[in-house]
Amino acid sequence: MVGTDVDLLKHPVVSAAVGTAAVAVGAAGAAYRVAEKVAVFGPLMRRSVAGLSEQGDRWLTQSADQIKALVAAVAVGLVDLVLDEMDLNALVRERVDIDALAADIDIDAIINRIDLITLADKVIDGVDLPAIIRESTNSMTAEVMTDVRTQGERADDVVAGIVSRMLGRDRESR
Amino acid sequence: MTAPESVADTERPAGIITRGLAAIVDLLVVLVIMSALYGGLVLVRLVYSPAAFSLPSLNVVFSTVVTFVVAVVYLAGCWAVSGSTAGAVMMGLRVVGRRSQRVSLVVGLLRAIGCVLFPIGLLWVVIDPRRRSLQDIVFRTRVIYSRPLAA
Repeated sequence: MVGTDVDLLKHPVVSAAVGTAAVAVGAAGAAYRVAEKVAVFGPLMRRSVAGLSEQGDRWLTQSADQIKALVAAVAVGLVDLVLDEMDLNALVRERVDIDALAADIDIDAIINRIDLITLADKVIDGVDLPAIIRESTNSMTAEVMTDVRTQGERADDVVAGIVSRMLGRDRESR
Repeated sequence: MTAPESVADTERPAGIITRGLAAIVDLLVVLVIMSALYGGLVLVRLVYSPAAFSLPSLNVVFSTVVTFVVAVVYLAGCWAVSGSTAGAVMMGLRVVGRRSQRVSLVVGLLRAIGCVLFPIGLLWVVIDPRRRSLQDIVFRTRVIYSRPLAA
């Protein structure tokens, strides 16, 4: 696109064109009014103009739907084309303050619409909680038992060592 | 000598601490069994004569005999079946014969009677170089460390 930074409405070329058009329309209106007043030519022209506008009206009412459909199809195609060309996600990310939008969301209202109990049931159904508890309890118990046994064995050895020393027993004879 | 698959036997004889703790646990088990029996007796009496119900006061001799029988049966049964009572399982112990992996029922019964009648014999473990109690010496048994294998 060339010259997007130029204000089109204030461009001298545009002003000149609009001025020309306005003058032309004004001149045509004046010419028409003058022509109307001519004796023979006036009524003839008025009639033909009335016929023309009548025909135009008819044509407009007949084909208005068709034109509408055509315009709609063209517009849809155009919008599709434009959308295809644009990366909407990037656009939204760039132009929309998503954080602000998110801050405005009434989460309580959303939560109120969710059946939390059913949801929780579903989640719990998916998680095999008893198996997890069983596993952790089992491993915990096993650990404690192993610890108890190891400590007991060590205590046995300590006692045996003390007694051996008290009795003056040779360690090798044991 | 093939050990059962679920446990890992050592040849080390167990000392006084583990065996003493195991004995205490077994004593508790016997007491629990006795309480259950007494509770059962109370319930039966309640069912048959609910009107004239009072907590039964038991004959001392009868109670002693029942306790003795329960203890002997419990110990002998556990030793003959698996070699381990509840206390022994907790402390990782097992009673085995001098050469065999299992104590026979007769030896188990005799050893159980000896243990119940003369529990002080356990203290010989401290002094004996091979960590045998008096019952072990008399009945030619051993108590060894025996851990259940990690799954």
